[in-house]
Amino acid sequence: MTRAGVAGARFRQRKLSTKQTLQVLREDQVEKIDDDPQRHVPKVETGVEKTEETEHHLQAAISASQAAAVGGKVAQIYIPTPDTVVSSLQYERLYSLRFSQPATYIRFSSTVEDCNGHAYCMTAEDDAFLSSVNEKKSASALCNEDRFEEVMTFFEQTAQSKQPFAMVDNAPVLTYDEMESFFDETISESARSFAKDIYPHWKSQRLRRGNKTLMPSLKFETGAETDDSDPYVCFRRREVRQVRKTRGRDAQSSEKLKRLRKELEDARQLVAMVKQREIMRRDILAVDRQLFEQRAKVKDAKRSLGIKGDDEDLVNQKPQKKKTSEATPMQRPASTQLRLSARPDGRSSELDLVLLSDVLTEKENEIQKEIDTKIIQHQRWNEGYIDLTRRPLTPPPEPNVDSGFRTAITEFLPTPPSSVSSEVMDLDGDDGIHDSGREGLVTFRYASPSLDGYCQSRPSFRRRVGRGGRLMIDRRGMRLQSTEAIDERIVDKFKYDHDDEDEEPTYAVDPYDTLNMRYRASIIGNSREQAAHQAAQIQAVRRAQEEKTVASSPAPAS
Amino acid sequence: MAPRESSQDPVGTPDPVEKGFATLATLRIGVKAFVDKDGEKRKAEILSIQQRKGQPYYYVHYEEFNKRLDEWIQAERIDLSKEVEWPAPEKPEKKKTGTTQSKNSKADSKVPKGQKRPRPGTSSEASATPEATSANIPGKAPRPSKAGGKENSESIAVVQTEVLDGSTRLDDEEIDLEDVQDAAAAAKAAAPETFSREEEIEKLRTSGSMTQNQTEISRVRNLTRIQMGAHEIEPWYFSPYPIEYTEEDMMYICEFCLSYFGELRQFERHRAKCTLLHPPGNEIYRDDYISFFEIDGRRQRTYCRNLCLISKLFLDHKTLYYDVDPFLFYCMCTRDEYGCHLVGYFSKEKDSAEGYNLACILTLPQHQRKGFGRLLMAFSYELSKREGKLGSPEKPLSDLGLLGYRAYWQETVIDILMEGRSEVTVEELSALSAMTTNDVLHTLQNLNMLRYTKGQHVIVLTDAVVAAKEKQKEKEKLKKRHNIDPERLQWKPPVFTAASRTWNW
Ligand SMILES: [Zn+2]
Repeated sequence: MTRAGVAGARFRQRKLSTKQTLQVLREDQVEKIDDDPQRHVPKVETGVEKTEETEHHLQAAISASQAAAVGGKVAQIYIPTPDTVVSSLQYERLYSLRFSQPATYIRFSSTVEDCNGHAYCMTAEDDAFLSSVNEKKSASALCNEDRFEEVMTFFEQTAQSKQPFAMVDNAPVLTYDEMESFFDETISESARSFAKDIYPHWKSQRLRRGNKTLMPSLKFETGAETDDSDPYVCFRRREVRQVRKTRGRDAQSSEKLKRLRKELEDARQLVAMVKQREIMRRDILAVDRQLFEQRAKVKDAKRSLGIKGDDEDLVNQKPQKKKTSEATPMQRPASTQLRLSARPDGRSSELDLVLLSDVLTEKENEIQKEIDTKIIQHQRWNEGYIDLTRRPLTPPPEPNVDSGFRTAITEFLPTPPSSVSSEVMDLDGDDGIHDSGREGLVTFRYASPSLDGYCQSRPSFRRRVGRGGRLMIDRRGMRLQSTEAIDERIVDKFKYDHDDEDEEPTYAVDPYDTLNMRYRASIIGNSREQAAHQAAQIQAVRRAQEEKTVASSPAPAS
Repeated sequence: MAPRESSQDPVGTPDPVEKGFATLATLRIGVKAFVDKDGEKRKAEILSIQQRKGQPYYYVHYEEFNKRLDEWIQAERIDLSKEVEWPAPEKPEKKKTGTTQSKNSKADSKVPKGQKRPRPGTSSEASATPEATSANIPGKAPRPSKAGGKENSESIAVVQTEVLDGSTRLDDEEIDLEDVQDAAAAAKAAAPETFSREEEIEKLRTSGSMTQNQTEISRVRNLTRIQMGAHEIEPWYFSPYPIEYTEEDMMYICEFCLSYFGELRQFERHRAKCTLLHPPGNEIYRDDYISFFEIDGRRQRTYCRNLCLISKLFLDHKTLYYDVDPFLFYCMCTRDEYGCHLVGYFSKEKDSAEGYNLACILTLPQHQRKGFGRLLMAFSYELSKREGKLGSPEKPLSDLGLLGYRAYWQETVIDILMEGRSEVTVEELSALSAMTTNDVLHTLQNLNMLRYTKGQHVIVLTDAVVAAKEKQKEKEKLKKRHNIDPERLQWKPPVFTAASRTWNW
């Protein structure tokens, strides 16, 4: 029997989406359907056990409420329940007025046991026994109820902890000597003095109950087979539930284990790599030291041999390409291009912060990527259109002077092979930047950028190809390098301080010098796709020029 | 819900009943006789027989009455001038397990959650052994509970807008249907039993003994009376308090820590020592009428066990089979200078796979019919709102639970609809009330407010509903109605690790 089959057999069932909008009407807004509205109250799953659903009083109450639902006049029907009456005990005798409500909501974590004092509570029989004990004692050495209960509690708890299965295995009642040997901080000195008097009473009570606890206790599982069918066994431990695992739970936990494993693996990897790094550092130190010693020897040898010359061989020669490292200070702000607040301590203890900064950079990269793709998308979308409305959402490129400007990172490459140069260009994005004049290039903002400190702090450049193939470099955010005289002595002082490989060499070069810029511009011009891109353009320009020259002047151009 | 002709299990045919006249001597457990109940004769089943001071006492369950009305009676109330029904011969073991298993296997997915037990209805194989049975069912793996909360998951509902055939029932829960099928299959698989006449007689003789079946113990209320706070209360159902207390005429329960004592002297001693003045947890709600305390079953094991024991006295479907650890208990109290008096509580799974926002709910009998149940329900939905979830109470509901919930749902849905919107989706109603869409639909259907007219479903605010609302407003003018004020709830949904939900320690 399929579900569809069952449903099909039903009368007038209609699917109703819970998302469907339903009009809310009053009775007079719908046509009267029937003379017997009762018949139209549908039968709905009650959630009550089927055998109980039919119970007389419940049925009476349900039909009463259903009759009421269709406008019938019925008194509310209550399901009869056994009586409760006011107790004959005097409430005030048992409970006292000691609650004062705090102004704030109560926070409370003590347990019932914490609030109950000694667990054992005296019976009337205990009272009789206690008074018989006290009869024989002097007035100064009487045992009060609290002491008595303290001792009884100690006996009970000790028996419970020493013979947890006394009920099952018929263990003999613990002797007094045994009890005494278990005295600990749970029983006070004053109570101990009564222990011997009370023990016989405890023992006899205990024997009478078959060495069971004197205060009746709940029946917990014993592991016996009868447990399952015994309605008095309750509050079973729940480990059993682990057996009933759904596939989902399995997958979940295996997933968790996998992740845990991977994380541990990662941590191990990390430690291994740290170790490797430290070993390499040690090696470097050793090599450095060796180098230093060798040089000292060379120096000595030179001196003794009277060889004059520069001290070139006594210092580390920078490999040529290291000169690029001058760009480093510029690169830092570039990496935080998102104008996220720079890590203020990022440089102070870089070692500790490697992870955090990695994460941050990665995040930034992701965001940047996202922004970039969005930009590209937007550009494509806007291709061929310029928004010329007032305060346009996507302002046309020209007025927005930011367009096409690049920070100056790529500009500091004095002598790189052209391939390297173009790679650096690639990093900075697509070549749309190079021909900013092209229609369709759009800049737009995601949030108001903090313009201050952005343009000023980083010098930026824009390269344009103007009419007739003219190359133009626009600069902005320029601050001329301080031209204060470089103290010769200071320079000299650090002359040999090159043990840090990362340290950039100091060149007395003005990067903003027009000459240098022109040079750099030409390097950019050589970059790969630039070349391809421009070849056609330039050729076209040349052709045009040639035609012009042919027409106007005999002098050969270019 | 219309009374069905037969209260038999949906599967299996009713066994022919053997009738005859009985004498006091031949009355035994399982016999159904007519008993004088409040001046009328009702058929009742004898569940237990005891001798007290030489007189036999009979514990009877009245047919079609809730178990809470079961009682001990003396012989003179039994009408022996009418024929009695003899207990059916012990059904062939296998067949019987076939039918009960289907119930139990459904129960199986519930029992470990520890708060509700399914009641296999007329079967006397009460719920005590649900664990053991699931493994034996031929070809049937225990059905995993639908993850993700089946209570919440359905967005398309099949609704009956008009049912012409009054006897059809809408089993919109697939699980029910399949269970019936499984049961049928299991019953079929069992070999047909044939009994010789002799065997049958022998069966009759032995099965009708006076000794009680272990599992039948729980069908008989075991405590006579309890004293709690300023009240004496008659228990309704069995509760597994230590068996020693069943012999006492009165069991004393401390109103604040819910500890129990068989002797007044002991109870007095306890009261002298007990310092608790409110449920041992954090107060998460307070207004000028009530306070709510949130208590973690794992951290307050003793209190929560005590609470479960006492509530088992009044909740038939509750099971104390498993421990209280995976539950939170929300205790509602009234306050005075004596302390915070527990009037009711509900428990809630820390993480309910079924999307339940409440497991068991109880207003203590001495405080019933004062509107506390409504506040408990409202509070449970307030928590769901704070969690951003929809919720529904765990099933099965008790009769009182059903009536209470229906009243609350009706009031809630109608209140929203009366705010004056001209159209609404079931989902919106659901989101506003934290009720599941199913409960919203059922409520609308129950009030006959969901109609199908001119080719589309509409919600009709019926005259009856509007009139009832007006009447209620009038009443409220005279007597203040208490509501839960969300502003006063200081609560964030607690977060638990998987381990703390599952493991004991
Ligand atoms: Zn107490």
